[in-house]
Amino acid sequence: MIGRRLLQILPVIVLATFVVFGLLQLVPGDIAVTLAGENATDARIAQIRQAYGLDQPFFVQYGKWLWNAAHLDLSRSYLSNEPVLDQILHRFPTTLLIVSLSLTISLVVGIPLGIVAATRPGSRLDTFVTSFASLGVALPNFWLAMILVATFALNWNIFPATGAVALSKDPSKALLHAALPAFALAAGGIAEVARQLRSALIEILSSQYVRTLHAKGLSPTAILWKHGLKNVSVTLLTVVGLLVNRLLGATVVVEAVFAIPGMGSLIVHAAIHKDFPVVQGVVLSMVVIVICMNLLIDILYAVLDPRVGRA
Amino acid sequence: MNRPGRREFLALVGTAAGLGAQAQTLPKRGGVLRVSAPTNPSSLDPVTGTAGSDHVYLYTLYDTLVEWDPATLEPRPGLASAWSFPTPLSMVLDIRPGVVFHDGTPLDANAVKFNLDRARGGAMSNVKTDLATIRDVRVTGPMQVTLDLSEPDTALPLILSDRSGMIVSPAAAAERGGRHSREPVGSGPWKFVSWADNEKVVVTRHERYWKPGLPYLDGVELAAIPEVNTGLRSVIAGQNDFVFFLSPQQKAIVDRAKSLVPVTGPTLWCIQMFLNFGRKPLNDVRVRQALNYAVDREAFNKATANGLAEPAHLMVPTSHWAYDKEAASLYPYDPDKAKYLLNQAGYKDGFELDIQGTSDQRAVQREEVLIEQFQKSGIRAKFTNGVIPSSTSAFFVEKKHDAYLSSWTGRPDPTQTYQLMFGKDAFYNVGRADPVPELAQALADTRRDQGIPERKKAFARMQKLVFENALVVPLQFQFEMDAHTAKVKGFKPNLLGKPRFEAVWLDA
Repeated sequence: MIGRRLLQILPVIVLATFVVFGLLQLVPGDIAVTLAGENATDARIAQIRQAYGLDQPFFVQYGKWLWNAAHLDLSRSYLSNEPVLDQILHRFPTTLLIVSLSLTISLVVGIPLGIVAATRPGSRLDTFVTSFASLGVALPNFWLAMILVATFALNWNIFPATGAVALSKDPSKALLHAALPAFALAAGGIAEVARQLRSALIEILSSQYVRTLHAKGLSPTAILWKHGLKNVSVTLLTVVGLLVNRLLGATVVVEAVFAIPGMGSLIVHAAIHKDFPVVQGVVLSMVVIVICMNLLIDILYAVLDPRVGRA
Repeated sequence: MNRPGRREFLALVGTAAGLGAQAQTLPKRGGVLRVSAPTNPSSLDPVTGTAGSDHVYLYTLYDTLVEWDPATLEPRPGLASAWSFPTPLSMVLDIRPGVVFHDGTPLDANAVKFNLDRARGGAMSNVKTDLATIRDVRVTGPMQVTLDLSEPDTALPLILSDRSGMIVSPAAAAERGGRHSREPVGSGPWKFVSWADNEKVVVTRHERYWKPGLPYLDGVELAAIPEVNTGLRSVIAGQNDFVFFLSPQQKAIVDRAKSLVPVTGPTLWCIQMFLNFGRKPLNDVRVRQALNYAVDREAFNKATANGLAEPAHLMVPTSHWAYDKEAASLYPYDPDKAKYLLNQAGYKDGFELDIQGTSDQRAVQREEVLIEQFQKSGIRAKFTNGVIPSSTSAFFVEKKHDAYLSSWTGRPDPTQTYQLMFGKDAFYNVGRADPVPELAQALADTRRDQGIPERKKAFARMQKLVFENALVVPLQFQFEMDAHTAKVKGFKPNLLGKPRFEAVWLDA
């Protein structure tokens, strides 16, 4: 299965980078104008286009990039002249830390909430959790991010308002910097985990075999932990997979609010200026991450539910 | 014994108070200033950079041959201790002795020649047009260079206060090649330490800096925070000490945050409408004049900047030495006159003006005000918005739309501004049209005389031509809007609106 899935990665990467490259071509704008500076002249713009191969046909430009990428060379940024791979490797750990922390918070808070709501359906607690979950889904994360900054950074001075510190440099400071962005992103995650877990668990707990377990005299706690949660683990896994993909996308906005030098701010800056090698490099790395994540989830499905592996 | 009179007594009290205040605010050495900057530098090499916002970074690393008065932009000595024009076609620069680069090599006439040749002929130079009148650079003494000119150019002193006059170490530039843009070596108050792209630039004290006692700060850390609201929050939270390029709307936030000190001052940064006067309908001077009459600049200023800006009538603000009152008074707000001119031009029922705009919130607010104002004169403004790089390209390269609501960041010498925008083959003259044939001579005349009073007269003639022919619609000069914590002392804004920190110190 793994080999087959890995083979599927290639066409997806080609398709995704080709579509993004095509879209960039459709958007008005010319990076040669940006690179020519404030004293731009027609001659200088033409010189830059030639130097960077921007005067070449669409397929030639894309083909060259693809050929280099196939040889693990993601080219250099037109704007900074830095190797794209270096930029990605420098920024990815920051984004990864925020996404991981946010996922952890989503699970640590969302799972108990989902269980509490599912085991007491219709109760006040259930209503509270369901309402909280609806609110979590509805709240825009950039708004929540600003509220968190105003409260915890500007008024109470507990967390830093901006920036990031590398985990390898100072783990405690890195976590402190990542905390507010992670919480801002986690609101939606908590809600999603709680809601999905609640509905899946309610369905399982009201099934006939659970009734049989009750009849056999098994305690509710044992039923919940041994049978209920084991059966919702596949659902939970699906939610986690989707959540990681969503969190990676959502960092774009949150990184702007917190001035975090991560993957989101990298691609936004590059897309605005049509810095095509950087955009392509980030898209490529994101596609690889998402596919690897999906692959991991598929493998875990097979571990949790042997029927999947046999299929 | 004579007792002091009331006047003498007050003078004594005033002096004593002044001395007391002076004692309290004596500059202190040490500390690192943490700055929130709204952009990442495009390059730290002065001649390969592309953005006007780079200067804040460049000023920390480089000195310029000529400096300027922060309030008026009149030229004054820098790395060149003196300059002269012995003939109309030559300029002599005497280089200040005793200046060394961060790598320890001396800054002499050979270094200056290397830099000027690099700026005017280097393959990657973006400032060639600034030095187009220089035919040759000759070393005429260990500390003297002579520039041979193809035509008189008295704009050169102020041009040499910009990128072209920033001097890099020839040894470092030769050794590092393209890497010099990321590992620069200059002779400025601080030397380069590190640059994490889109994150932070760090510079530290140049121990052998030539200006006595300067810089006060041990170093400067410039964090690139593109979202200015976030930048401001970082200063309120105490993570940074200084933020600049704030909007007038943020002044209220700065005032509310008791710990912050607001700084404002006029700048050359002009919000304006570029016009494509090379094709219909704006190839008709009456239509262009109508646009200028149709704008109520005072109301525009109040609505879009809470009055914290200056209505623009020329390409220089009132405090600039080249400001000309007569040319500035050509277009009072007069919608009836605008209608009359449109009628004369054959647009009895008005016309639709196709304008390129940008999509940021403040730009859209400006558009709304203009749509309303133009309507009163029968001009139906239709905006197409995009992010700045796309919009700039759409208007200036693809030549879409009749006009472009954008801004001009200003140049140290106003000749640069007018030449770059209205010269026949200038990039910013989007139609490459020449609607005023005598303008070329008038522009050349502004580069002919040396003294400011003489140049002022030439500018008056040239600006009159530009604005009688309504080649642009200037709207508003932005104020520099900065905020810093109370411990930051000695900062002064300048007319270019690009902060410099060499005289800043930390009182903590």
